[in-house]
Amino acid sequence: MSELKRTPLYPAHLAAGAAMVDFGGWEMPIQYPTGIVAEHLYDRRKCGIFDVSHMGRLLVEGPDRLAFLQRVLTSNVAALTPGRAQYCMIPTETGGAVDDAYVYLFEAERYMLVVNASNTDKDLAHFAKYLPEYDCRITNITDRYSSIAVQGPEAEAILKALSGAETITGPRKNDLGQITIQGRAVRVSKTGYTGDPIGYEVFLPAGDAVWLWDLLIAQGARPTGLGARDTLRLEAGLPLYGHELGTDPGGAEIPIFAVPLARFAVSFAPEKGDFVARELLEAQKGGTAKRVVPIALEDRGVIRAGMEVLRDGAPAGWVTSGTMVPYYRFDQAGEPLDATGKRAIAFAYVDSALTVGDTVQVNVRGKLLNARIVKRHMRQDLPPYGRAELI
Amino acid sequence: MNYPIDLKYTRSHEWLRDEGDVAVVGISDYAQDALGDVVFVNLPAVGDTVIAGESFGDVESVKAVSDLISPVTGVVCQVNTALEDAPESLNEDPYGAWIIQVEDVTDSEDLMSAEDYQVYCQQEG
Repeated sequence: MSELKRTPLYPAHLAAGAAMVDFGGWEMPIQYPTGIVAEHLYDRRKCGIFDVSHMGRLLVEGPDRLAFLQRVLTSNVAALTPGRAQYCMIPTETGGAVDDAYVYLFEAERYMLVVNASNTDKDLAHFAKYLPEYDCRITNITDRYSSIAVQGPEAEAILKALSGAETITGPRKNDLGQITIQGRAVRVSKTGYTGDPIGYEVFLPAGDAVWLWDLLIAQGARPTGLGARDTLRLEAGLPLYGHELGTDPGGAEIPIFAVPLARFAVSFAPEKGDFVARELLEAQKGGTAKRVVPIALEDRGVIRAGMEVLRDGAPAGWVTSGTMVPYYRFDQAGEPLDATGKRAIAFAYVDSALTVGDTVQVNVRGKLLNARIVKRHMRQDLPPYGRAELI
Repeated sequence: MNYPIDLKYTRSHEWLRDEGDVAVVGISDYAQDALGDVVFVNLPAVGDTVIAGESFGDVESVKAVSDLISPVTGVVCQVNTALEDAPESLNEDPYGAWIIQVEDVTDSEDLMSAEDYQVYCQQEG
């Protein structure tokens, strides 16, 4: 095994007592001493901070940068104005996903692409196939910069307290901004992977990472590991490459339009022109044989990635991600309560004939448990709290 | 990490307390710490036969599922059904939150003393 890479926050994780794991070649915190459940709940009620410095950060510069990105990404990059970001897929020639990514336009002259850590090398090799046709270059700046996600109801107040700024970014999701903390510039995007109605990701030079991390903790934010990052994104209905994107447990490529967020990630706008797999994606838009849907367990137990899904005894697909996640309760008036619960939820990749409200069976080590296809696991439109939707 | 000296331990991190007529079974402090937050316990029923070295149920943490391995062969005479609604008791009080009680014990795994088990856990890292 090759040496694991470490982010600039590695010493801070060790000092906080984190359990470290190999995550896509990086030595990362899976959880801190309070545990995944407590971290998940703290993020939903207060503020969680996540070291996302391992994610691949790529600069795309040069005269043809827009044309290149229009070709290799699914989003309409021409619609991106300075100060905005957008979610996109990196399509394969056959209509699946090489990766999913976020593209940021902090400055007019260069795009920053953020990709999954474990896919960074694969993405660069994929881009290299198209790059010779364009007058532009890609620079991997992953090691020079650090990223911290600051998520949850108190995220905005904490960043305001540190910067004294009146606004952190514009009000919309995917707005970008820059704040100054103790004289140091910190770039901010109103994005995240938790589904929290309030949440930011900050970008700063690698050498500033520990400094800001400690300041955030002093303001009441709590370190949150990859374990809670996964339960939060699952509850929020956000896909993860290698689970909902890529190949299914049977080894077949998952079409991009099988994934819930595809409609936000793919554009067929005229100015988009031709791009990798455009025709295949246009065909997929009309429907795919299987699709990824959120399911909630009706019976007692836990459902996990790789488990078989059946409908009336016939194979219908697989669970792609699943576990038990905690949630806070709210009273009838929508006011937050201190009481918590737990529920077993998942994503399943199943026959598209199945729809919201249908019950399927999941093969849990030989026992068939009932699960229901739901519209979503959580409401994200009532700030400041994400609110669990229970079956 | 806590290793009560009145208990015996398995290599798969269950503990056993010999109470004469019955053997009480749970999971160790080391086990609960390695599992992380326990969110579900799959329990056997009273009257089920358990076999030394074989699974009698499982514990699910947020991260993964782990088999519960019976230290002894016998018949389940009591099940801690409180764990169904409060699986986190296994994290909070691993030696108080027993899982099953077994009677008519006819066989046992090779069990370790607290001292040997502590050494064993330290070797596991």
